[in-house]
Amino acid sequence: MKPHAAASTSSNRNTTVKFRIPTSDNLVPIRLDIEIDGQRFRDAFTWNPSDPDSEVVIFAKRTVKDLKLPPAFITQIAQSIQSQLTEFRSLEGQDMYTGEKIVPIKLDLRVNHTLIKDQFLWDLNNFESSPEVFARTFCTDLGVEDPEVGPAIAFAIREQLYEIAIQSVASARETRINKKGRRGAAEQFPARKRREWDVYEPIVDLLSSEEVDALEAREERNART
Amino acid sequence: METPSKDPSFKTPASRRRWFSWDDIHDTEKSHLREFFDGSSFTRSPKIYRDYRDFIISKFREDPSRRLTFTEVRKSLVGDISVLHKVFAFLERCGLINFCAPGGEDPGEEGNWRVRVEDGAPNGVRVVAAPNPNSLKPVTVPPGGSDNGRGVVGNGFDLPPLASYRDVYSERKGTICGNCKQRCESGHYECTKCFKNGHYGENKSVDDFKFIDCIPNSGNHEAVWTEAETLLLLESVLKHGDNWDLVAENVKTKTKADCISKLIELPFGDLMLGSTHRRGRLWDNDGNMSIVQQVQLPSSETHSQENIKTDDQCHDVEKESNQNGDAETQVPPLKRKRTISPSDTGNALMKQSHITLGQPPPLSPAAALLSPKYCSSHLSSMVGPHITASAAEAAVTALCDECQCPREIFDGDANEGEELGSSPQNNKKEREIEERPTELESQGTSSEKNAIPLTFRIRAATATALGAASARAKLLADQEDREIECLAATIIETQLKKLQCKIKHIDDMELIMEKEYTQLEELKESIIAEQMNALQRVFSTGISRWKDHTSVKPHVDSVL
Repeated sequence: MKPHAAASTSSNRNTTVKFRIPTSDNLVPIRLDIEIDGQRFRDAFTWNPSDPDSEVVIFAKRTVKDLKLPPAFITQIAQSIQSQLTEFRSLEGQDMYTGEKIVPIKLDLRVNHTLIKDQFLWDLNNFESSPEVFARTFCTDLGVEDPEVGPAIAFAIREQLYEIAIQSVASARETRINKKGRRGAAEQFPARKRREWDVYEPIVDLLSSEEVDALEAREERNART
Repeated sequence: METPSKDPSFKTPASRRRWFSWDDIHDTEKSHLREFFDGSSFTRSPKIYRDYRDFIISKFREDPSRRLTFTEVRKSLVGDISVLHKVFAFLERCGLINFCAPGGEDPGEEGNWRVRVEDGAPNGVRVVAAPNPNSLKPVTVPPGGSDNGRGVVGNGFDLPPLASYRDVYSERKGTICGNCKQRCESGHYECTKCFKNGHYGENKSVDDFKFIDCIPNSGNHEAVWTEAETLLLLESVLKHGDNWDLVAENVKTKTKADCISKLIELPFGDLMLGSTHRRGRLWDNDGNMSIVQQVQLPSSETHSQENIKTDDQCHDVEKESNQNGDAETQVPPLKRKRTISPSDTGNALMKQSHITLGQPPPLSPAAALLSPKYCSSHLSSMVGPHITASAAEAAVTALCDECQCPREIFDGDANEGEELGSSPQNNKKEREIEERPTELESQGTSSEKNAIPLTFRIRAATATALGAASARAKLLADQEDREIECLAATIIETQLKKLQCKIKHIDDMELIMEKEYTQLEELKESIIAEQMNALQRVFSTGISRWKDHTSVKPHVDSVL
């Protein structure tokens, strides 16, 4: 994929590329949220779509075994992963517009005891970008100790990129209209007004156990309603 | 935008920024950050690149002593975050920023990661931690000490030769004054009480008391155990078991409490206590390790079975030593010993193994921290003196094959090893132990000689311990196999018995049926005979017509 990506960045921005996640690694974000008999299993990870499908079942079995879940989960997990992969693959055949597209990415997630809020710009055309590298820098710079935070950040970014990429497939025809608007926006670069610094500054909060419980309860209520 | 500070006194390594100038973009920059210069996008142009670069550098120069993080700058710059990061990384690599900041890591390198060991699994996955208290627990990184990812403690540490895991990482205990044997709570000149009281001890004076800073509220204990003392302690524990007074007597320089705490600190210490407990009774009976040789086993079947086991054990050790070193040198001594063992120590071994099989495997690699001498004595109590001697020999030979140097050192010790193997008596051991400190002292002058024995001894001890451990494991596995066979045989036997019972049952039933059959036959015959009888009588009375059944019957009835 990489030589292809390099060609696209330096060449005319009007070329189209076959659909893929616009990062250096073409990894699909997979989210699982399965409930059986009152047991809830939630997980989020990235999957390499070029792995054979047999790996899905193996992964499901191993997960169930490691977490000691009832075996009914195996089929559910495998099905969920498969359906998301199929969705991705169905888009793969279509064209994706790879013009310059700076999109805002927002982070608003809670991982165990850490609350993260952040906002920044991401170039959809930059096929050398890597959410994992960003997440790593983020955690190092802010001294985040919990090792689960980094992957969660990378996953959140990837999910948003995926969604935007899906939209760009649909809107491949309509891009020409927006070119002028984009040029206008480019003039405002590069330094940001100071009052906006706070908006784009990351916020990392460490919560206590009670706050975590309260937040979880609220999330569940929101999910039910 | 902020104006860049052009402080002339600002020092940067000249070599790094020789090419840099505020007013121009150097070729290096152009080649590394091509996306700004190839016109591929509106958002990336040379001017924009300069803006980014100048902003980042001036931001850094606001406070050159601290390390500027990417996260700090990215909030103030508009643009694709990956590209910004690339610029930032480029500037950092070139030394234009963060060159004199502490802990400056190249963010791209993987090797500088701080090793963080978690206690237990992350929340999504639970793994039960191993409950073995003797295993090394994960070591937490000391705070603030390893920015550059020096990782697990112990890399730069210079531990004393006999330091055990608990020595280094466990909490220290209360200090006991060497003089008045009382607890010292305060930061002490060895003991404030003694100091005040004037009990300075024989050759000490006020000046000799060093001020030892004491961590408040912890009551630390700082007992220094030399190798010789530890060896003495272990020997005396083996000999005296629970009798701490005798143990303290043996280890003359340490108190009873010291001995106990030291033993507990050693990784296998409490196991030793456990084992001596169980064998304490055996010890007390005769005070001799060879007691078990005198125990006779009841039946001959078990005897032969165990002989087989012994042979297997010897065979295993032989296998082990074959793996360890040359085959030829090992086989003769083992064969010699093998002929002795079934007759003599067969019983001993089996009795011991019966006793010891219930225990958890007492050998841990930490045992190798002591000299192989101790190891051999310990092992010989568990596994059998001949086996230990051969294992030790095998290990030593393996080491000697690797390097000729320690051969003479070990050969000198080998004689004592032979003694140890042939007559495991406590007196001899003690004498030998007393010899050892002197031996150590004599070697103490030549420092280089000291270095070699220690490492090689450690390796020899490790090899011995591992060899004996694997022999034992093989023995246990074989025994399990045999047990399984035995059980399978029992099952088969039971099934056969069941079948036999059924067959017998069926046979009986057959007999009964045959009898019944004959009875029925007889009955039948008698009935027929009666009938014939009756008919005859009927005929004899002259019935005219035979065809008339109806008339015959009433006649038959009336006749009968």
